[in-house]
Amino acid sequence: MYLKHISLTNFRNFTRLDLDFPRRVIVLVGSNAQGKTSLLEAVYYMAAFTSFQTHSDRQLVNFLAAREARKQVVVGRLVIDYQRAKSDHRLEARLIMEPSGVNGMRLRKEVLVDEVKRPLHDSIGKFNAVIFVPQMSQILEGSPEERRRYLNLTISQTNPAYVRTLSEYNQALSQRNALLKALNDRRSGASASNGGNAQQLGVWDEALARLGAKIILWRIQAVQEIERLAARIHHELTRGKEVLRLSYQPAYDPLPKPQGQLGLEMDTPVDRSGLELEDIREGFIESLTRLRKEEIARGMTTIGPHRDELRFLANSVDLGHYGSRGQIRTALLAVKMAEVHWMKEHTGEWPLILLDEVMAELDLERRADLIKYLGESEQVLFTTTDLNLFPAEFAAKAVIWDLKDGNVSRRKAKG
Amino acid sequence: MLLPEPIQKLINAFERLPGIGPKSASRLAFFLLRAEASFSDDLAEALTDLKNKVSFCEECFNITMAGRKLCEVCESPERDDDVICIVEEALDVLALERTGGYFGKYHVLHGVLSPIEGIGPEDIKIGPLVERVKKGEIKEIIMATNPSMEGDTTALYIQQLLEPYNLRITRLARGLPVGGDLEYADQNTLLRALSGRQEMD
Ligand SMILES: Nc1ncnc2c1ncn2[C@@H]1O[C@H](COP(=O)(O)OP(=O)(O)OP(=O)(O)O)[C@@H](O)[C@H]1O
Ligand SMILES: [Mg+2]
Ligand SMILES: [Zn+2]
Repeated sequence: MYLKHISLTNFRNFTRLDLDFPRRVIVLVGSNAQGKTSLLEAVYYMAAFTSFQTHSDRQLVNFLAAREARKQVVVGRLVIDYQRAKSDHRLEARLIMEPSGVNGMRLRKEVLVDEVKRPLHDSIGKFNAVIFVPQMSQILEGSPEERRRYLNLTISQTNPAYVRTLSEYNQALSQRNALLKALNDRRSGASASNGGNAQQLGVWDEALARLGAKIILWRIQAVQEIERLAARIHHELTRGKEVLRLSYQPAYDPLPKPQGQLGLEMDTPVDRSGLELEDIREGFIESLTRLRKEEIARGMTTIGPHRDELRFLANSVDLGHYGSRGQIRTALLAVKMAEVHWMKEHTGEWPLILLDEVMAELDLERRADLIKYLGESEQVLFTTTDLNLFPAEFAAKAVIWDLKDGNVSRRKAKG
Repeated sequence: MLLPEPIQKLINAFERLPGIGPKSASRLAFFLLRAEASFSDDLAEALTDLKNKVSFCEECFNITMAGRKLCEVCESPERDDDVICIVEEALDVLALERTGGYFGKYHVLHGVLSPIEGIGPEDIKIGPLVERVKKGEIKEIIMATNPSMEGDTTALYIQQLLEPYNLRITRLARGLPVGGDLEYADQNTLLRALSGRQEMD
């Protein structure tokens, strides 16, 4: 798949941008604060319909336009034309800021697939992209939430049902937590009638387990597949010196733990590949039933995909805790390249690869490795402040774009 | 400048309506202020009539004219007494009636389970449903709650509650758009969902 055209209106610092994309490797060159990251963000937005750097869509709308248009509607608009499986498609996202209340502005999001308005969960994954930004080492080093977000964004792109199931799971979780809290309040005599009737806890357990089991199963499969691809790449990157493992640790763990092995050492690989959806669901319900007293006492759901963990290990050492900077960069590179191949396996199409200032972070050897891995793909967009970071023969073959003050110009080939 | 109290009061009242924000509320209020007096009078009358002349069926909680115990459906001798279709809102009854393909009776829950909103089984018409079932005439229950997470969960709750009574319990087939509301489904889709209903397990 490849991007043919992007058109941005009031997105970040681009009040207006119209840009044709060649089906090639593109290097976007610009000094600081010109909009390089913003352009990558825009392209990735059309794959995930959420930003890779913020949870708040408001931040994406050009703030000058938003300020000028006080008390009127401002629309941030992103439109892409792309080709997938030899046919042309269009995606459009509208970030509509409209006045609400006395002084407030509220944001509404609309998505159009081939010019028809669609719900978000039917729009994610129509266009696929993998993004690689050095700050993404947070996936390895940051909080578990970063890793769950990483898993969610990745799996969503290849599995449309994942998006909806996850949002239903979160809804069921909120409902169940509200009920647990009401039951807790009632126990402590805080309030009498607030819908907190213990009889219904069973059906909320079932809803949570039915949806949660699917998510756990999909995560098991995805982590296993990405691990297989990443380990191979990582092996090459480290010249055979390190073995990379991705250890998925579901908060409700469907794997029956043998007696006496409750606290499994992390460097013991766990094989969950034989698990069936129905087993996971039933086990999940059983665990919820067992934990019921405790969960009512705490007024919240203590197990389930919303608390899952994913750890990255090299030679059995947890990189999140003990990884050196170089080790983390190498592992991240392996995982990101694995993601590209994983999407290709699932969709039959190469995703567009977006790389923000990665060269500066890599040594010469790794730069060459990266370029080698990208060789197979269809379309790549690099950003850099300094073209000299790229090997000369590579830069000579790439399309070079200069970005200045929100305008992109194509550099003429020398000679 | 503060708005005169009557206008502010009306705006506040409108704002409590579903789907109406502060802006639409003010627009409506000022529209009424400019409109002819007869318009407000008609509206006021319609509003009082709503409460005075409409009530809920004592059997199924569908809407009916005030003063009447039963709704049209419950009163009709033509309708099967042994099948009950469970819906969330009275509007869903209307949608199913429009298909002309359903000949049993209804039970309107007036909501779904939603602990977030403090709505538990006692807050919707589940108790009266069990009472109806206890009388022993009913043989089949068709769950026609919306195909949403809350709709499914409510259906499951009712199914478990009715387990001891040995009924055939079915759920509308999945032709309905997930997350969509019954009342917006077109007639053919509804008919197909009705005829393709499946046993709940
Ligand atoms: N909502 C917004 N509206 C207008 N401008 C914005 C908005 N959000 C960010 N900007 C500005 O856009 C400019 C470009 O930011 P961006 O991060 O894309 O730059 P960059 O080219 O990647 O820079 P660097 O090389 O420093 O990473 C910045 O000056 C930033 O302050
Ligand atoms: Mg940047
Ligand atoms: Zn009735």
